[in-house]
Amino acid sequence: MTDRPQSTTTSWPWIAMAVAGLITFVASMTVNPDAIQGQLSRIMYVHVPSAWLAYLAFAVTMAASAMYLWKRDLAWDRRAHASAEIGVVFTAMAIGLGMTWAKPTWGVWWTWDARLTLTAIMFFVYLGYLALRRTTDDLHARARRSAILGVLAVVQIPLVHFSVIWWRTLHQPPSVFEPASPDIDTPMLATLLLAVAMFTVMYVAMMVKRVELARLEDEILVSEQVDDSVVAGEAVTAPLLDGGAA
Amino acid sequence: MIGFGAQVAAIARRDLRRERRTGEVVWVTLPFGAIALLLVPLAIGTDAPMLQRIGPGLFWVVVMLFGVLISVRQTNAETTAQRDQVALTGLDPAAIYVGRAAASFVLLVVFQAALGVVTLVLYDVPVEGLVLLPVTFLVVGAGLALLGTLAAGIVSTGTNATALVPLLVAPLSIPLLIGATQALEALRLGRSSLTWVLMMIVTVLVLAIAGVLSARPLQETG
Repeated sequence: MTDRPQSTTTSWPWIAMAVAGLITFVASMTVNPDAIQGQLSRIMYVHVPSAWLAYLAFAVTMAASAMYLWKRDLAWDRRAHASAEIGVVFTAMAIGLGMTWAKPTWGVWWTWDARLTLTAIMFFVYLGYLALRRTTDDLHARARRSAILGVLAVVQIPLVHFSVIWWRTLHQPPSVFEPASPDIDTPMLATLLLAVAMFTVMYVAMMVKRVELARLEDEILVSEQVDDSVVAGEAVTAPLLDGGAA
Repeated sequence: MIGFGAQVAAIARRDLRRERRTGEVVWVTLPFGAIALLLVPLAIGTDAPMLQRIGPGLFWVVVMLFGVLISVRQTNAETTAQRDQVALTGLDPAAIYVGRAAASFVLLVVFQAALGVVTLVLYDVPVEGLVLLPVTFLVVGAGLALLGTLAAGIVSTGTNATALVPLLVAPLSIPLLIGATQALEALRLGRSSLTWVLMMIVTVLVLAIAGVLSARPLQETG
């Protein structure tokens, strides 16, 4: 019988997440509202960082997948998996918050805008990535398959980001990283950048916890496979001598 | 040792022979696609001008969604033992990938041509863009075949393999869908379709490179 892996005890990520969340909440609620959109503009301080985090997470998935294919070290696979999972959650958040923002401003929950549609497609591609990981229990087979998809899927990020420039869309063009000058008020910009930084801290904290959890999951999987495996020669019984003594 | 081209031809011939025996594409997937084209007007109404307008787009959606079934058929048909046997022959994994994609390409072009006729008949689609249609069929066929074969290789024989391939292929085939619809639309409006055709060709090249590069690691996976 193999020993069960010990549970994780690292607690600083929880504290980091709580502090970062609190700072984002306080900053986004105290900054002056937008002159035109009013209180509604506060959604921006969660919507934009969520979208940024999704890009970051999927880029990390790609990098970690490439590293796995190069090094064949399962630690890279776990990082890729953890990052993709966090990315999917934040993509869903960005879409959900975007829809909440769209209803009062555009009058509809959903519109066939290039960025919205491509973000939804990106969401489904990475959902497929997570589904792919559930198709086999062989750790290296799973890692190799998902690493290839993890590298391929990253083409979605530039497509989503530059869609507002390449196509005529309803979604506003970049306000912060504009080639000329940022089209946003300085206090709002500072709050937005702070929120982005805090979300990045949350991402790092989540990654630490999720990678730890992934390592434990892998250890459990391996221990179960060892428990279940049949020992070679198990089916062969020793010949019985007279009287039934082996 | 036989050359790369001969290996590709051998694999493609084997897949096409299997299709000739089973008739899966001609007798199952193609009628299924035709039924889909028949069902849509029953659901949304039989207004002739509207059907004429949506016909081309609908055709490409059916091609993308049902075309996946053509690429995925090898995942269904081959057992792990058969796959291992092919690997043990010592054929180049990249040649196996290209060979499988080549067979799917042939079947997809036939599928598109047949379904195209069905769309023309049922939806009375205007024929202005037809000059470009063979080129579009070839590029979309190549793209879908390469993408489907790659996805089938990634998913391999895992749990839910058959259901998962369409989930992976459908979102990644968007550049082909947009390229195909916009190229024909541009031609209809008297504009150049070159950009859209180039976009599809670039997609095909990216998929071909990705498929060839990942063929060996995927074969190791088994």
